[in-house]
Amino acid sequence: MIRTRHGIMLLAPLALVLVGFFLVPVIMMLPTSFREYQPGLGLAPGTWTLENYTQIVTDDYYREVISRTLGLGLLVTLACLLLGYPVAYLIARGPDRWRVPLILLVVFPMMLNLVVRSFGWIALLANHGLVNNLLIELGLISSPLKLMFNLTGLMIGLTHIYLPFMVLMLVVAIRNVPRDVEAAAAVLGSTRVHVFAAVTLPLSAPGILAGSILVFVLTISALVTPRMLGGPTYKVMATLIYDEYMQLLDWPSGSALSFALTFMAVGVIWLSSRLTKRWAGMA
Amino acid sequence: MSSLTFERLGKSYGAAVVVSDVSLTIRQGEFVSLLGPSGCGKTTILRMVAGLVEPDRGRIVIGEEDVTALPPNRRGLGLVFQSYALFPHLTVFENVAFGLRRRKVVGAELDKRVREALALVRLDAFGARYPRQLSGGQQQRVAIARALAPRPRVLLFDEPLSNLDAQLRDEMQIELKRLQRGLGITTLFVTHDQSEALSMSDRVGVMAQGVMQQFATPEDIYHRPATGFVASFIGKPNRLAGKVASRHGAGGSVRLGDGLILPAAQIGAAEGATVDVVIRQEAVGLNGGPVENAALRGVVALRSFNGARVQYVVRLDHGIELVAEAASGGANSALTIGSEVSLSIDPRSIFATPAEVAS
Repeated sequence: MIRTRHGIMLLAPLALVLVGFFLVPVIMMLPTSFREYQPGLGLAPGTWTLENYTQIVTDDYYREVISRTLGLGLLVTLACLLLGYPVAYLIARGPDRWRVPLILLVVFPMMLNLVVRSFGWIALLANHGLVNNLLIELGLISSPLKLMFNLTGLMIGLTHIYLPFMVLMLVVAIRNVPRDVEAAAAVLGSTRVHVFAAVTLPLSAPGILAGSILVFVLTISALVTPRMLGGPTYKVMATLIYDEYMQLLDWPSGSALSFALTFMAVGVIWLSSRLTKRWAGMA
Repeated sequence: MSSLTFERLGKSYGAAVVVSDVSLTIRQGEFVSLLGPSGCGKTTILRMVAGLVEPDRGRIVIGEEDVTALPPNRRGLGLVFQSYALFPHLTVFENVAFGLRRRKVVGAELDKRVREALALVRLDAFGARYPRQLSGGQQQRVAIARALAPRPRVLLFDEPLSNLDAQLRDEMQIELKRLQRGLGITTLFVTHDQSEALSMSDRVGVMAQGVMQQFATPEDIYHRPATGFVASFIGKPNRLAGKVASRHGAGGSVRLGDGLILPAAQIGAAEGATVDVVIRQEAVGLNGGPVENAALRGVVALRSFNGARVQYVVRLDHGIELVAEAASGGANSALTIGSEVSLSIDPRSIFATPAEVAS
């Protein structure tokens, strides 16, 4: 066992870096979020207001962006789960010699730059992109499908980017399900499908939850891909915050939105860790 | 409840033959153990019976039904794992009910049969608990109840007691045996522990390197080992290198060390051949006191007390050492190191096998 004193020493370097370069700047942003914005001037001197926060809840546009962000998070998480579980199952339970090639295949996209991959999707999904041209050539559609600057485009791009995270989490979870317990169910009369539904799936639930949290939090805070595939008009919270800061110079609003996003992410993590505890308590 | 038959059952992984043409019949209601060192193929046989491993050759017949090609869920067996393999996310009650639900048992009947099964293993009061809230012994009993509840045709045990501590293991041996007798259920029990196999079984199959060495009653296995492997695997053997001095029917005599000649009941080699000689520790008798007229003499080199028995390492005049046992508290339980003793060895517990077969 590591003693408390030694534990603190091991933790100290990272803790100092995080406090100095992450926590302190974030806290410095807190006062900004209560300041008033004056177009052209930036921060109005000497005035304090709660409006930056209240408008997030009351303003229709902000509300739309927030619900879009959360909806996108849920859909991307769900898509990653549905696409990722079968692959993870194959990697965890398939022939040994397939394992390394399959994991490499899953991880390979992560070795390419995010911007490059997002550009790739633009080339594929644009009105005169590869996909639309192909479908028109084949005579399946007459006018191009709208695959970008909307939910479809963001879902495709983000699911592609975060799928590896989900798969890697699920592989670990599925490998942790004891084979004997599955065999026990089979001998007791379960078909393969029932073994999966009654044993494998519930016992890999902690991994499903962990992967889902990860993908959800990454999705709602993603900036580059939504920026490139969403364009200037179809915004999510991260791109909205970016624009508030960099284009409108509305720092108060941007800070308030940042805190709202942080709050939502922390809330999701907290909620699901409670869920995990309840499940783990049962299992 | 049914009989269980293997016909020339075989399994290989690549070039490695794990199970080599094993044939045997377990009669209805019989308790049979497969005994052998790890890697001898006993667990593979059990998993083939359960349908978890597909045999390459041969047939498995339960009662009159050839089940070789059936998936595990349609074989109607009960299996108890070394790891218990309980469903961690289900209560004890639901664990036991699992197999019954698969057989469409519901309502009051389900309730009754789960309670019966839990009562059999004396865990009536534990239905609402989760497996992690139970001790290892209790978990193992839940696993047994879970296997018994659907009234399987054959009960399979895969080293079920290896994870329990020694005292609990002895209790469970007796409890299991009583349960099996009471239910009259055909049982195949896989273990590497010879005392477990010998004490519980009607018949024991000793296996080595995928080959069935001997399939017989515990008494026959112990007193009339069919092969050199069985002789050296069963009991607590002294293993010595020697030569065959003379042959007489199945036995003869062997020469050990620098000229000690001992009669042996079973010799599996021709006169003059180099052999491994197995002398059971429990067959070596010791006597303190006057040794002048004894045919066999030695000096105590080491004494170790382990409760019920006292073990001595005795150095014989002929340059060999033997381990011998005496009952604790008996006349010869307090011999000191360096004291002279006379020895007597029961020739029926001396076996000689060709040297190269030694394991």
